[in-house]
Amino acid sequence: MEATTFLPLGMGLIVIGAGLGIGRFAAAAAEGIARQPEAADKITGAVNLPLFLLEGVAILAEVFTFLMLIL
Amino acid sequence: MSVAEADHNSQSVMDLVGPNIIHHVSNSDISHPIIHFPTLFGINFSVTKHVFMLWLVALIVGISIIIPVRRFILSGRSIPRGWVNAIETIVVFFRDTIVKPNVGQKWVMTWTPLILTFFFFILFANGIGMVPIFDVLGAFNRFILGIPSTDSHNIINGLLHGGVTATGNFNVTAGLATVTFFAIIIGGTLAHGFIQHWKNLVPHGLAWPVYIILIPIEIMGLLVKPFALTMRLAANMTGGHIAILALLSLMAIFGEMFQSTIAGIGVAFISIPMAVAISGLEIIVVLVQAYVFTLLTSVFIGMAINVHH
Repeated sequence: MEATTFLPLGMGLIVIGAGLGIGRFAAAAAEGIARQPEAADKITGAVNLPLFLLEGVAILAEVFTFLMLIL
Repeated sequence: MSVAEADHNSQSVMDLVGPNIIHHVSNSDISHPIIHFPTLFGINFSVTKHVFMLWLVALIVGISIIIPVRRFILSGRSIPRGWVNAIETIVVFFRDTIVKPNVGQKWVMTWTPLILTFFFFILFANGIGMVPIFDVLGAFNRFILGIPSTDSHNIINGLLHGGVTATGNFNVTAGLATVTFFAIIIGGTLAHGFIQHWKNLVPHGLAWPVYIILIPIEIMGLLVKPFALTMRLAANMTGGHIAILALLSLMAIFGEMFQSTIAGIGVAFISIPMAVAISGLEIIVVLVQAYVFTLLTSVFIGMAINVHH
């Protein structure tokens, strides 16, 4: 069995990890806004940056997996 | 498209789908450039599709943003109208909600122009990837002018090779992120002086063994920031196009698999609405990625200016 056989599985794992992370962000932000609607702007601003950093890590992992798959 | 048709008789659809998708998102071949330039210092300066798209985007930004704003400034009026009013909304939004909280009141007017240039350039470069101008030109060329797609001397056929999203190319986004990299260093240098900026990378007042670990990590972080910006933008812009093309290719794949046209048409009822939905998602991604690149650039510059140690 070649090493590249499991690479598509890795892409799926990345999606699971990133999905869980972004889901937790969304849940926490929604809960925070529900408790304190007047702080919605601040909460959105605070959530944005780590969200994009998380997305960046996930995209990097996907790109590396994809490159390993095709190269 | 022409690659697929040239090999059509010898290969099955399954073998053609992958190369066809890659051909539609990657740059055109350097051996068949749009404009020929001589090789200088070992670098071939010929204009490929993505370079051509960068020029087109620069032209569009110049016509639709720079010229109206210059004319408004020269006219001496204080309240803009129409298109310039729309631009002003974006400019004020970026200045007050992105640059000012990150960079600080003192340096807002230094860094807002760079951030806005990034935003408009990336927005137009991303957005032009969603406009099928060249596909329409190709269809016009093929069916109205009647020129076969194998004619390599035809100028429109030459334009059809390669993808249109210049920001989907890692080299383009690496160039943009290099500007960010130097902007971070210049931002820190302007605020604290050259030596102090590099000292600010690590917190002072720690026990000396900590620095052995901390200094390599901070130097790595310095390079990872623009690298992550590069990968994020390029991968996002390429990924959506690959998803749309893969969904549309399902029609050909199913038609081939079951050896019937009906199967291909049946799959079309699922794959075309899915492709439309992903195109809608792509429009959001186009806006969000332009926003994210500028937001992260201003955050990184702000981190160099407002050191929290």
